[in-house]
This record gives sequence, C-alpha cells and structure tokens, in this order.
Amino acid sequence: MDDLSSGKAEAFILTPAARSLRWQDWEDIYIAYQASSAETHFFNETTALILQSLEHGPITLAEAKEWTEAVLGVDRGELAAGDFEFAIERLQELGLIESLDEAIALQ
Amino acid sequence: MIVGDLSRQELERRLTGAGLGIQFGPFNLRISSNLPSLASLAHQLYEPYPMVEAVAIIDFHVGIGSPRGLRRWFRRQASFSIDGQSPFAPYTVEHAFPALEWGINWCVATRSHHLLMLHSAGVERNGSAMLFPASPGGGKSTLCTALIHSGWRLMSDEFGLVRPEDGMLLPLPRLIPLKNESIAVIGRFRPEAIIGPSFLGTRKGTVAHVRPPADSIRRMHETARPRWFVFPRWIANAPLLLKPMAKSQAFLMVATNAFNYDVLDETAFRLVADMVRACDCYSLSYSDLDEAIAALDELSRDDG
Repeated sequence: MDDLSSGKAEAFILTPAARSLRWQDWEDIYIAYQASSAETHFFNETTALILQSLEHGPITLAEAKEWTEAVLGVDRGELAAGDFEFAIERLQELGLIESLDEAIALQ
Repeated sequence: MIVGDLSRQELERRLTGAGLGIQFGPFNLRISSNLPSLASLAHQLYEPYPMVEAVAIIDFHVGIGSPRGLRRWFRRQASFSIDGQSPFAPYTVEHAFPALEWGINWCVATRSHHLLMLHSAGVERNGSAMLFPASPGGGKSTLCTALIHSGWRLMSDEFGLVRPEDGMLLPLPRLIPLKNESIAVIGRFRPEAIIGPSFLGTRKGTVAHVRPPADSIRRMHETARPRWFVFPRWIANAPLLLKPMAKSQAFLMVATNAFNYDVLDETAFRLVADMVRACDCYSLSYSDLDEAIAALDELSRDDG
C-alpha cells in the first residue's frame, strides 16, 4: 500500500463484499455484517466514512482522507495519517477494499 | 398431567424403565436413570412440570446413571448421556442431579439452532421481557430468582430463546442453579422459595436448585416481546446505579454472549440488531436486592 506522504496516487475500490455489508449504526459506532465471511465488524465513524467515500468509484487514499475530513468537519490534515493508514490496512485485511490496479490485474 | 401426579415409586419406575417424559418450555425430554437417589429429587423439584404425552416427539433422550465397566467398582460415579453417548467425564454419584441439569442445558445449547440462543436470564411482566445477559460475577441468577419471587414471571435463567420468525422470546423455565453465597442470599430474601439440597464441591462450587414458581411453569408456552436489556453487576456495598447503556455496546455484549450467533449468521445479526434497537438498554450495579427490584419495577411501571 502506498502511504499518504509518498505522493503516489494508487486508487482503491470497494470489493463486492463491502457492497453487500448489512449496516447498523448507533451513536458513533457502526456495526456491519459481512455475509462473505459471516463476520460482524465494529467500525468507528472514520472507518465507516472511508468505506462510504469509496461508494462512488475508485479514489486515492489522499482523496479519501480529504473527503473523510470534510464530512467529519475537521481541518484538512487533522486526521492522523498513521491512523488513517491503519484503517485502510484493516479494511484490506477484511477484504472490503482493494487496490484498483490489483483488481484489474486479477481480471 | 404433571410430574407431581405420579407417586415417588411410579416416578422411579419410569426413570429406571422407559424414562420420564417431561416438558421444559419448547423441548420434550425423556429422562432415564438407574440411580435410586434421583427419583426423590426429581419428584420434589420437577413436581409442577407437565409430562409429555405418549405420542409426542422427544427432542432429547437423556440419562444419568452408573457408567459401565471397571471404574464403577472403584468409585461410585454418575455419567450423563444423550442418545446413549456420554459426552462428559463421569461425575461423583453425589453430584448426579446437578450433572443431569447441566447436561440438559448442554443439549439445548448445542442442538437448538432453529432458535437464536442468547446466554441470558429473562423475566416477564405484562407481555414484556427483561433480559439479563450473562457476565462473570454479574449475579444474573440471583437477581432473576429474586425477581420471579417478586411478581415477575420466569422466562429462563440461562437461555434467551429468540424465535427467528418474529423475534419473540420463548420461555424455558427450568430449575435455577444458585451457586455458593447466592443460596443463602435467596434463602434469606424469600424464605418461601423452594430450594433443593446443596451439592457441595461440584465443578462450580456449592450448587442448589431453585424451583420456579408454579405460575412460571404453567405458562411455559406463553411468549414475550423483548423490551429491556439490563446488564447487572453485583458489587458489595455499592449504591444502586441504573443507567442507560449505549446500544452499540449492548449489541456487542449480547452478540458475543450468544450461544449460536456464529451458527445463525445473518439471521443472528438481524435478530440481535432488531432486539437491541427495540429495547431500552441499561447497566445495573447493585448490592441490595430490594433496591434493584424496586428500580426494575419502576422501569416496568413506566412502560405501562
């Protein structure tokens, strides 16, 4: 995964598993059932927004971060890059997002 | 016909013969035993439970008896069996009755996946159910026992059985196994409670079984709508504190405590989510049963 400071512009997309998540949201916790793994995930608002940012098509991590910060109403750059990258890695591990390049290469 | 309609001798004859057919909520059991000591306990503690009609389908054929083989000559033991198989190591014969009760719970927990099974006690009033999900040291059995002797109906001490079709809670008003200090606490709180003998030194310490009030057993087919989740915690000398709990936290605690959440997949997710959304969720810390019951009664009154 490219980190946010490298300047590379790798795009990410949602996987089919992410598109079929069943959501419940309470307060600032988002609970999602993933049918493909039969797992229930607990996401904070930032992680849920990252998934939401990808709903309209492929975007880079920098774009996703910028979009998330705007929706959260915080200043640009206020979200810690390390936390954001951790969330991205976790979503990749869960099979909910993937690199657009890798997805194309596998087709 | 209820178990109490049988003489003790007839009950023993059935236990040692074709088995005693008995209903526990939605489950029909046939219990066999070659242990003479079991008949008098069963006669006392199962007395108000309905018996199974001869033509009924039996869900679990269980037994508690002396194991075959050499070991029975070294030490008197009792082995629990289901469909002729013994899933557990034998117990000392003095613990045969609690072993039977645990074994029946194990059968329900491992073989009833047509229902969502929450690990939870539950009581009912005016058609609305209050659930107490289990947590170590939480004291759900003590609180549940106190409530059912204070105007609430027992749904279950151990299982929140949720019917997937409509989310209704099915009663399973079985005996309540009180442990250690709780036995004396309930004995003092409600001297009229029917508590069986104390079994010392079991795998769970001292255990004694409370027989639910007859009304709870008589209404064992009357479902209830989940209305409250209360997560109790008994803390010595603590003041009463009943406070709302975040639904996300309640979801996490209910789902992770369920016996078969993983087995039912999305059905379980939907059911737990629907229940948590529909229920008011509270944490309760208490040291005084009277105070706790008054607070929970108040919730019930507010609902009416």
